[in-house]
Amino acid sequence: MTVQLHVEDYLADLRASLGPVTLDEREEIVREIAAHIRDSAEEGASVEAVLARLGPARALAAQYRDGLLIRRASRSISPVLLLRAAARLATKGLSGIVVFFVGLFGYFIGGGLVLTALLKPIFPANTGLWFRDGHMIASGTQLYPPGPPAHEVLGMWYLPLHLIAGSLLLLATMFLIRHSLRLSQRWQQKLGRLRHANQAGA
Amino acid sequence: MREQRPQHENSEGPDRWEAQLRKGALEMAALASLWEGRLYGLEIIRFLETNSRLVVAEGTVYPILSRLKSEGMLTSEWVEAEAGHPRKYYSLTEAGRERLRQMADAWVGFANGLSRLLEPVLEERGMAK
Repeated sequence: MTVQLHVEDYLADLRASLGPVTLDEREEIVREIAAHIRDSAEEGASVEAVLARLGPARALAAQYRDGLLIRRASRSISPVLLLRAAARLATKGLSGIVVFFVGLFGYFIGGGLVLTALLKPIFPANTGLWFRDGHMIASGTQLYPPGPPAHEVLGMWYLPLHLIAGSLLLLATMFLIRHSLRLSQRWQQKLGRLRHANQAGA
Repeated sequence: MREQRPQHENSEGPDRWEAQLRKGALEMAALASLWEGRLYGLEIIRFLETNSRLVVAEGTVYPILSRLKSEGMLTSEWVEAEAGHPRKYYSLTEAGRERLRQMADAWVGFANGLSRLLEPVLEERGMAK
């Protein structure tokens, strides 16, 4: 009875830790691990030993999450999913940290450019690119736009130019993160080949 | 003033490298275990323990199988056993077989090259012993 509770606790912990994984995938994973525990117990192993070999439920869930999140994100266009996967990559090394912050910066600036472009028709006098004495002094949507001698230089061209620039930056950011995620997957595969090469050489 | 670099990076290096290699190798090993036919998770683990020198961490195998399945390398089906409970059996897809062929070719070529490279190192170690 206690053993059964022990297993149920483990599976409940696993299910809870699989949070971001879809419900169907989560139930499939829990069902498979439950079958593994039962099969191992039928071979004569103690439940404690089986659970110890599986490792902590949270660590097991993290391995599933890493694989599923990074792979799904590498084909996604969702900034939220891509940034979450980049954040996961950031926990694996310095290059991941760089990708995460460049991605955050790209989405922030790109989103800002698109947003101010869309605000131009609504607040035409407050949105623009202002120059004074040949130097840019303000850009975007300003609560208090600079007055003369500063002057706005783009007029309604602000909208298409910033819409295009913002969209390109958002696209570039998306491709950068997706490329980095794919590279990280390929790197994992190369490690696998190296391992076998090492075994053969030893 | 020159800062001293922390030493732990070097001291942990080989262990971490080997752990990563072992983890990476499991992908090919898991695919190879299914070459002859379908197996379920525990059978794959036992197959690898028996037929290779890989020490398999059981908690590592299942996430790899899940990943390979979502990459289209494997398919799975739940099969009701005559006596007992349902088990999730994995089989190689054609894409999985092709990937394994490519991995096997790359491994053999790379392993042969590396063996030659490591010969002097291993000979020296042998003499020292």
